[in-house]
Amino acid sequence: MLIIGIYFFVLSFTYNLNAQTDWARWEGKETSYELTPTHHHDYTLDKSSFGMTLLSVLRNTYYFFISDLDGDNCPFEPSCSAFFLKSIKETSIFKGSLMFADRFTRDLNFFKVTDHYSLLASRKFSDPANNYTLHSAKIKF
Amino acid sequence: MLRTKITNRLLIVILLIIVPPTTINCQLATDGNILSFQNRLRFGNYLYYEKDYLRAADEFKEYLRSESNDTIVFRLANSYFQIGRYTEAANNFKGLFFGSQLSEEARLMFYESVFFQNDYKLFRVLAEEQNFGSSIYSKDIERLKYISYFLDNSRLPEENLVLKSFPDSVQSRLLNFYQQKKFPKYKSITTSVILSTLIPGAGKIYTGEVGDGITSLIATALTTYLAITNFKADHQFRGWMFSGLAAFFYAGNIYGSAASAQIYNARIQFNFDNEVRLFFEHRNYFLPKIDY
Repeated sequence: MLIIGIYFFVLSFTYNLNAQTDWARWEGKETSYELTPTHHHDYTLDKSSFGMTLLSVLRNTYYFFISDLDGDNCPFEPSCSAFFLKSIKETSIFKGSLMFADRFTRDLNFFKVTDHYSLLASRKFSDPANNYTLHSAKIKF
Repeated sequence: MLRTKITNRLLIVILLIIVPPTTINCQLATDGNILSFQNRLRFGNYLYYEKDYLRAADEFKEYLRSESNDTIVFRLANSYFQIGRYTEAANNFKGLFFGSQLSEEARLMFYESVFFQNDYKLFRVLAEEQNFGSSIYSKDIERLKYISYFLDNSRLPEENLVLKSFPDSVQSRLLNFYQQKKFPKYKSITTSVILSTLIPGAGKIYTGEVGDGITSLIATALTTYLAITNFKADHQFRGWMFSGLAAFFYAGNIYGSAASAQIYNARIQFNFDNEVRLFFEHRNYFLPKIDY
């Protein structure tokens, strides 16, 4: 009986240690109302070629000085800057630039229709670069 | 003390009653081979009816090492078929082609297995093969052959040939599919490019992207206007800057029109493929249900 009594005493003692006191419950807490960023840019350098490294540097500069301050405003996924890099990587600097010019114009359109783009869970329009390479086999819906 | 003694004795008596039968049972279980071929067949059949085809196939394969049984070969092949291992299914069905009572059914299932491998050209070559043909299910195999034309990029045979294999209730729907496949409502990439070259954005409007087309026109026209006015006002730097932007939007608009027409056509093809596949899938490709 004594052993059982000691056991329960020790048990209740450990529970008491972890118990929440009224003081801790009602005391004021430091709350931050700062919005946490929902997007994180990928700053890694593409070292596949000199041109891609140079473009990655330019992209990172754009991210650092403009995009990060401006916020996640591009309605497309991938964003225009990421699209530009992907299209150049997938095709060439010339074709990639044309693809980007087209994307940029489409981005200017205020009345984007959901029939033409599928809407992602992030509420962004899916618009992958491979759909615009003029290779029908690469088009994915 | 007396109570403890009585309790201990009772415990011994209970143990004496319980233990011997259980040991005998264990002995029996180890003597009778639980993994005998007959037991594996029974277990395989149980799994097969429970639609656990993956494990059923393993049991049937073990059984067929010792015994030869056409029904079990059929079930083994059908198990592979059900879990999408069509190559193995086709090979096993092939084994029942000659000298088996299930030959006709095996031939049909063989064709189904080849069909679902999505190599429709191979399927059509095999469908023409006389040695593999089935006398009972020849019409079903022929129907599958015509369905395969709708599912790949091959040229469609004569309209009458295709339609006559199907029941009257689906004739109008199939005729519609036939027309769509033969004369798809594609947009010409060349027309789209020429239109955009003449009037920026017109190519996009032609492919149904009205908003993008108007945006293209406004962007190109506005930057061109700004370039001209700046040059007129002798603002060389701004003039060249807006000229560059105008060229950027103009070139992008031509490229985008070509891409837009191509995406439009790909979407037409994608929707057609989905519609056709769903139509045939809902009707089980007009195939009879076979199981043993």
